[in-house]
Amino acid sequence: MTRLIKSEDDEMNRILSRKEEILPSSGFAASVMDAVRREAAAPPPIPFPWKRALPVLVAGGFVLVMVFVTLVVAIVQVIKSSATAQFSTSLPSMLAPIFGLQGLQGLQRNLVGAAGWSVLALLVAFISVKLSMRLAASRV
Amino acid sequence: MSASDDQSDVGRVLAGDISAFEGIVRRWQGPLINLAYRFCHDRGRAEEMAQEAFIRAYRALAQWRKDAVFSTWLFALATNLYRSELRRIPASTVPLEDVPEPRDARPSDGGLEDHDRDVTVRRAVGALPAKYREALILFYFHDMDVSTAARSLGLPEGTVKARLSRGREILRSKLPQLLAVPRLKEA
Repeated sequence: MTRLIKSEDDEMNRILSRKEEILPSSGFAASVMDAVRREAAAPPPIPFPWKRALPVLVAGGFVLVMVFVTLVVAIVQVIKSSATAQFSTSLPSMLAPIFGLQGLQGLQRNLVGAAGWSVLALLVAFISVKLSMRLAASRV
Repeated sequence: MSASDDQSDVGRVLAGDISAFEGIVRRWQGPLINLAYRFCHDRGRAEEMAQEAFIRAYRALAQWRKDAVFSTWLFALATNLYRSELRRIPASTVPLEDVPEPRDARPSDGGLEDHDRDVTVRRAVGALPAKYREALILFYFHDMDVSTAARSLGLPEGTVKARLSRGREILRSKLPQLLAVPRLKEA
């Protein structure tokens, strides 16, 4: 079996080692040198304006962190309020107005709605950034 | 092709003498075009890719560290470019399942015509998954030198060896009749 594989490999080596040389066309070197001269004559690429972009990037990062923190706080409040609501519903119904059960449920609905929208907005932003980065990378 | 010629030309280009780059182009145009041709099997495209490789080499010339031979650096740069070009616009290849077996593996003289067999094997290599195809192309381009192929691909030697072995295994399974011909001849 090993001998068989060895002989097949030898045959493959023999076939694939055979050079099929192609010669460069006569104007190739001149054409490359033209392109190189154009490259040398072109102004250097404009560097990325880090000085201007940095404050914007920092501000953007800060906003992103704030949104994240707000989201986390909102979720924690929703969890807490739902726990309170469960506790309240276990009390006799006559006590409900004292604890403001309906108010709590309304707040819970609002917070859940806001959290959902925030998550959706973050998701849309993330997808659009990813897509644009992929698009830019494929064009480089 | 001497390494000292390359070194002196690079030095002159970096000192501002652009025309010295022509020496590098003339010395390496053949190998770079032939390497590109092995990737794409299209003469026009091979020249375009080789031209782009020279322009990128010109731009990056200052990054060549002289501890590596210039040709090694140039081939690594070109290979990287060719691989990404081929990923962007793949060469037209026949799927491996559709690579035709030769009409008859044993014609009247007991052997397969060399040309038919070469074309079929080359097509089969072209239809391999990229990582095995690239390893095989570089290995045979560099006269079966694994370490040079590994440097061009920017991969460890062990990885290249494993890919060569797997690539050969796929070829053997797809073209058993074809590669068994010499044994039949000997029998």
